[in-house]
Amino acid sequence: MTRLVRSEVAKLLTIRSSYALVLMTAVGTAGIGVAVALAPHNHGLQRLIFPARGTPAWYDIVFSALALAEDFALVFGIIIMTGEFRHKTATPTFLAEPRRGRVAAAKLVVSLGAGVVVMAAAVLAAFVLGLSFVAAGYGDIGEMAGRLGHVLPGYLAATVLFASYGIGLGALLKNQVLALVVGLGVTAVVEPILIAAWPNVGRWFPSEAARSLETTSRLAQSGFGADLGHLLPSWEGALVLVGYALVLSLAGSLTTLRSDIT
Amino acid sequence: MQPATVEVRHLTKRFGDVLAVDDLSFSVEASRVTGFLGPNGAGKTTALRMLLGLVRPTSGQALVNGVPYRLLAQPVRTVGAVLESSGFHPGRSARDHLRAIALATGVTLSRVDEVLELVGLRSDGRRRVGGYSMGMRQRLELARALLGEPAVLVLDEPANGLDPQGIAWLRSLLRYLASEGMLVLISSHLLAEAAQTVDEVIIIDRGHLAAKGELADLLGGGGSTVRLRTTEPERLVSSLAARQIACRREEGDAVVAESTTPEAVGRVVAEDQIVILEMTNSTESLEELFFSMTAGGSLPTSQPAST
Repeated sequence: MTRLVRSEVAKLLTIRSSYALVLMTAVGTAGIGVAVALAPHNHGLQRLIFPARGTPAWYDIVFSALALAEDFALVFGIIIMTGEFRHKTATPTFLAEPRRGRVAAAKLVVSLGAGVVVMAAAVLAAFVLGLSFVAAGYGDIGEMAGRLGHVLPGYLAATVLFASYGIGLGALLKNQVLALVVGLGVTAVVEPILIAAWPNVGRWFPSEAARSLETTSRLAQSGFGADLGHLLPSWEGALVLVGYALVLSLAGSLTTLRSDIT
Repeated sequence: MQPATVEVRHLTKRFGDVLAVDDLSFSVEASRVTGFLGPNGAGKTTALRMLLGLVRPTSGQALVNGVPYRLLAQPVRTVGAVLESSGFHPGRSARDHLRAIALATGVTLSRVDEVLELVGLRSDGRRRVGGYSMGMRQRLELARALLGEPAVLVLDEPANGLDPQGIAWLRSLLRYLASEGMLVLISSHLLAEAAQTVDEVIIIDRGHLAAKGELADLLGGGGSTVRLRTTEPERLVSSLAARQIACRREEGDAVVAESTTPEAVGRVVAEDQIVILEMTNSTESLEELFFSMTAGGSLPTSQPAST
C-alpha cells in the first residue's frame, strides 16, 4: 500500500495540472478575498450591517474566500481518479496492481494530502492578502492572523474531505467531464435550490455538510443573510463527508472500477 | 526457476450479444515465440486482456504460471504486456511514467533508465510523451513491459506504428528474449511479419481456436506443390501417377504435382530419364494457411501481406 501511495504521489508531481490547480486556488482565493474586502459597507442587503474594515468580524468575511479551496479540492480529487481513464493510464496502473480497490484506496489517501496542499496555497494567499490590509492600516497583524488561525481548521477539514469526495465521485462515474459536471453542478446548482426549498434535505449534501465544519462567523458563512439553522452539527457534517468519500469509493470499486478495461 | 506457462481454459467472453471469445483453450510454452493470429475482430485483444486481468471472462480461465493474473504475487515481475490501447499522460515524461510504475511495483528506479536504454529512448526519456511519435510510444510500451524483468511477455500488435527498421529490431529482440528462456506471446494480423518471428502459431477465428501448432508443421503438413515444364508432359504425368503422386497437366508443357516434395518428383524424373525444362517448388504460405483456416469470405482483403 505504501508503494501505491508513493506511486500516486509521483504521478501528481509529474504533471502540470497539479501545479496549475494549486496556483489557481491561491489566485482565486486572493481574488475573492479582495472582492469581498472591497465590497461597499452598506450595499442595502436586508438588515445586515457589514462590519467595519479591519475588525475581526470583517477579517472573518474576507477569509471566507478560503471556501473556494473546497471546490478546487473536489476538482483535484476527480482528476486524480478520472485522469486514469481519460488518458488510458488505467491499463498500466491496473497491470501493475490488478487489485483495483487498493488503487482506489491509495488515491483516497493521496487525495487527503492534495487537499492539504490546496488549502495551504489558499491560506498563503489569504495571509498575504491579510498582511496587505494590515499594511494599508486595517486592523493589526495579531488580530488578522488570529482570525485566520481561527477559521483555518474548519476550512481545512472541509477541503481535505472534499478532495476525497472527488475520488469517490470519480471512482463511481469514471468519466472526467461527467464527474466534474455532477460534482460542481451539485455544489453550485442543486444544493442552493434544495437549501431554499427543503433545507432539511439540503443539509445532508456535500457543500452544506462542509459548511457545518466551517468555524467562521455565522455572518461570513451565511453569504449575508441566509438562515443557517438547518446546518448539521460539525461532527455530523464531517461524518457525512467521510461517508460520501467512502461510500462512493466503495460503490465505484464494486461497480465501475471493476468493469472491463478495453 | 520453473519455466513460465500460459494456459487458457474454455475462455469465453460475451459483450452483450457479441460472443467475442468462444470456449478458447490453448497453452503456451516458454523459450519460444508464439504467434496469436486471427483476422481483425477475431477476439485476439479480448483474449489477451482477459489473460492480463483487464477484462473479466464470462466463463473459463486464463492462467499465468497456473494462477489468474489478479492473484499473481508480483504481476509486473511475472508478466510484461504491450497493449494497443494502453495510454500515457501526454504531459508526463517517459521516464516519469515508468518511475511511477516502478514505485508501485517495487522495481528499482535504476531499472527505468536500463529499459529506456534497451528500447533506444534513453536520450528522449525526459521529454513529454505528448510529443512522441507512434513508434516511440510503442517502444515506451515495450520498455514498460520489460520493467519488471518478467518471464512472460505478451504483445498485442506490437509492430503497429514501428517503421521497417523498428520491426526488424523488435523481431530480433523477441527472438533473443525467447532464446533466453522467456515465454513470448505475440498477436498480429501481419502474417508475413509473424511468419518471420514465430516458432508456433495459434490461429483464432470468430473467438475460437482454428489451428495450433509448430509453424513448420502447419505449413509443411500439406507438402509442397511442385511445378514442372518438360518436353514430354504426357510421359511425366504417367510416371508420377505410377508412383502415386497426384498430378495434372496444365497449359502447354507444364505439369503440376501436389502434396509431394521436390525430392520425390526429382527421383521420378531421374529414374525415367525425362527431360525437364523448369522445376519450381512452392510451400503453402502462412497467409494461405490463414485464409484456409479462417472464414475467408468475411476477411478484409486489404490486410497488408507485408510491411
